[in-house]
Amino acid sequence: MFLDILSDGLFAAVAAIGFGSISNVPVSAFKGCALLAALGHATRYTLMHLAQWNIMPAAFVAAIVVGLLAPKLGKYWNTPVEALAFPALLPMIPGMYAYRAVEGALLCLISKTEADFNHAFYLLNNNGMICVIIVMLMVIGVTIPIQVAHRKVNG
Amino acid sequence: MAKAFGVDVEMTILPRSVMMTVWDSSHEKSMAMNEKLPAIPLNFHLISQFSQLSWKVRDVHIGVDDAQVELENILSQPRLNAYLVTLLTGLGNASFCRLFGGDWVAMFVVFVATINGFYLKSILHKRWSWDMRLATLAAACTSSVIASVGFVLGVTATPDIALGTSVLYLIPGIPYINSVSDLISGHLLCSLSRFIQACILTACLGIGLALGILIMNIQYF
Repeated sequence: MFLDILSDGLFAAVAAIGFGSISNVPVSAFKGCALLAALGHATRYTLMHLAQWNIMPAAFVAAIVVGLLAPKLGKYWNTPVEALAFPALLPMIPGMYAYRAVEGALLCLISKTEADFNHAFYLLNNNGMICVIIVMLMVIGVTIPIQVAHRKVNG
Repeated sequence: MAKAFGVDVEMTILPRSVMMTVWDSSHEKSMAMNEKLPAIPLNFHLISQFSQLSWKVRDVHIGVDDAQVELENILSQPRLNAYLVTLLTGLGNASFCRLFGGDWVAMFVVFVATINGFYLKSILHKRWSWDMRLATLAAACTSSVIASVGFVLGVTATPDIALGTSVLYLIPGIPYINSVSDLISGHLLCSLSRFIQACILTACLGIGLALGILIMNIQYF
């Protein structure tokens, strides 16, 4: 089990660097991004598989973990907090839900019976809602600790 | 930053332009600018450098001319090497496949599919200057056709995961995050604009994937 969590973190780190490089994350921040992404994703994995949490609260708590650590790492590597924390969240973006919602919309269009349409409409709404709520919770979770740290520094 | 130069600044940020008004310290003279925003790709390196420059202006009080020189310096820095980015994206998406439970063969399939799709997208967008949305659609279609090799040849035990994760590198993750982050800070127009743009890109991705599945005639749904 411990090995599973470790490998989850490792692959999340690789994914964060890969997707971060599309947005030209500074090379000096790669290490920080990888570390944050690994910790965040491993937290979510642990909560979902050991504690049987739903993906939404698990992603929220994982984002809080990222937000708590990002200001310290940002100071250490001399990069703005957002340039570390946002790419670190990338592996947790619910991309699968996002395009399943689109597939649901397409299935709606080609469905022939009412039952088919209802199922496709259910797919569209279920995936779309979960996707939007996860992204919102994640950004709220990462913003709160960063703002608190910011206030502390400025007085 | 404005205080260091002895002026007051008011800014309005809209989705495609920035309005900025600068006053002198006694509020007698003002100057307004309305700048259109070019559609440049995301660049976190640039953002960090700008942030460091703004701190320098505030704390070390370097003059306007020095700041201008440094700004030109920052703007002339190249992006990461395109081939390196392609390789890293491929590795990143392959490890994403692993996170969803794909086996090693599926990871390799996703790696190849991602590299091809990403390369195609950058060629179409940059060299042929196709629209970003069309390029995304074409890339998603290519990636899904390549990733469906698992279904056709039966080389992997998890072909559905390979096909499902092969297009995930096209999800505009940072725009989604930025959209919510704007929402929190009250920039509702920017937030909505980013969200709709990200949704359109996701829809193009979905259509491309559906097209690929249709071409290969796979029972995926």
